[in-house]
Amino acid sequence: MDVRQRAVGWSLWLAAALGVSITVSAGIGPVSIHPLAVLKVLLNAVSVPTGIELTGSSVGNALQLPAPELQWQSPFSYSVRSTHQTIVMRVRLPRILLAGVVGFALAAAGTVMQGFFRNPMADPSIIGVSSGAAAGAVAFLVVPVAIPFGLGLQGAAFVGALLAAFGVYAIATEGGRTPIATLLLAGVAIQAFLGAVIAYLQLHSGDGLRQVVHWLMGHLGNAGWDDVTVTLLLVPLLFGILLAYARDLNVLLLGEEAAHGLGVEVERTKRILLSVSAVLTAAAVAVSGVIGFVGLIVPHMVRLVVGPDHRVLLPAAALAGASFLVLTDTIARAGATEIPVGIVTAALGAPFFLYLLRSREVHEL
Amino acid sequence: MSDPVLSVDELSVDLGRTEIISNVSLTAAAGELVGLVGPNGAGKTTFLRAIQGGLQPTTGTVTVDGHDIAELSARETGRLVATVPQETRLSFSFSVEDAVAMGRNPHIGRFGTADAEDRTAVSQALDDTSLSALADRPVTELSGGERQRVLLARAFAQDTPLLLLDEPTSNLDINHAINTLDLVRSVADEGTTAVAAIHDLNLAARYCDRLVLLAEGSILAAGVPETVLTSETLESAFDAHTVVSNDPTTDSPRVTALSEHQSVDDI
Repeated sequence: MDVRQRAVGWSLWLAAALGVSITVSAGIGPVSIHPLAVLKVLLNAVSVPTGIELTGSSVGNALQLPAPELQWQSPFSYSVRSTHQTIVMRVRLPRILLAGVVGFALAAAGTVMQGFFRNPMADPSIIGVSSGAAAGAVAFLVVPVAIPFGLGLQGAAFVGALLAAFGVYAIATEGGRTPIATLLLAGVAIQAFLGAVIAYLQLHSGDGLRQVVHWLMGHLGNAGWDDVTVTLLLVPLLFGILLAYARDLNVLLLGEEAAHGLGVEVERTKRILLSVSAVLTAAAVAVSGVIGFVGLIVPHMVRLVVGPDHRVLLPAAALAGASFLVLTDTIARAGATEIPVGIVTAALGAPFFLYLLRSREVHEL
Repeated sequence: MSDPVLSVDELSVDLGRTEIISNVSLTAAAGELVGLVGPNGAGKTTFLRAIQGGLQPTTGTVTVDGHDIAELSARETGRLVATVPQETRLSFSFSVEDAVAMGRNPHIGRFGTADAEDRTAVSQALDDTSLSALADRPVTELSGGERQRVLLARAFAQDTPLLLLDEPTSNLDINHAINTLDLVRSVADEGTTAVAAIHDLNLAARYCDRLVLLAEGSILAAGVPETVLTSETLESAFDAHTVVSNDPTTDSPRVTALSEHQSVDDI
């Protein structure tokens, strides 16, 4: 079958699965809402442009240019209970969408990193992005004065993530070439160093310790529409760039020299893949904290099903990652006391990791 | 005579601080199969990498089909030169067809997908290398000989005027080695120029139009096999005692290496 057909086919299936996950998840919580009721609330929230109206006629002194304005209308108007409406739209949906987009970003970045490093154990944090974000966030929580320019917690994490990734890249690059083995080892070293920084800051965090630990374990609580909107806009854009390089990523699996012979501009492609993945991961980690294993296990699971071709694998893994994090976060918040979602993903992810180690998947490191 | 497809002009290549190739010149016309022979470490692989543009030469130029390789993008180079590496790593299990289709990469734009011409080239390459029956098998499940054929098919699918082969037969048994060189010979006869590093001197002599004997980064001898493979040149290149005779079966030179204490009379 044609690659494009396979990619579209899998994407549609997994997008449908994501829709079901979101609907089911929005019904689960202290107040249980039937999925059909959730669906009605969600459909009510859909609005489509119905026409363009020109406003601003020339009344009074100056000639005003008429401004076109889109008219929106919701095609659905089911009767739903207003408490359900509020719970789904105000409380649960922002968090669920955030889980979805973070899972999407981490799984996509993980897929790219595993291909890029030709290493099945690679994950989105491999070039120090997560450690950098954690260091930035913890520094913000412990020594807020150290963060100038009015950056918020998320801004500090985002900047920390990009600084770490850029640092690793700069260290590993010499004479315009970035050997991936050097990059890998530089990433390990920077992660160890930032681990020390984080540990030191934690020791001196005093009353903030609880908040720091909470952040480090990964969390999606307190998500509001503000958090979701920026990430929702940024992630699809970055993902589109990665998707445009999916075929080059396939060819890069053959090794850099072979990839050059097959028409891939190796160093430039590596730079683009690295920087886009780093920003993608940073955008996710900044809003969610360090959520492990999503970027490691989801690409593996999906690769076992759809095969190694990144043109199919990348969208499939991203959508599966979105569903995975929506469902694990539902588990995380469903209990009597909420647990950080990072604990749930790691608790599910570690056994799978061990299974990988024992199975034939891991040929080389 | 028409312009040569490949023209290497006074090429020198350094790796680190060591000069691996020094001042090598070579031309090859359309349809020629040129064998690159020489001892281990003579610079055969480095020479091929420099022709393909994977290594930056210190001095000298490589011209393929009238284009200076150093000035071309990877994509443009990929449409002129195809390489069959000694071995390839593929830890992810692509199907044979997908692996061969990667040869079409230089022909497809960033946002494009394979068109009819690409698909024809892939199925033709699979056919030529008798891989059609294995098209859906994962490459990780193939034998060494089959994997070598996949690399060959990928290069055929790339559909370039110049084909480079780095020891295409070194990991193959005699039957697969012969099959591989038969295939290379047949694409050369159809007009592709091929340069192949070949370890086995007898196979090189049998299949190649011309041989280039490299030793310590320089050309020691070049020409038809009969003039290149002589006891004297082999002695100086390999530091080995050899006897060169004519193989009556293939009517090509046959090299027999002797151990240090042997002379021809002992045999």
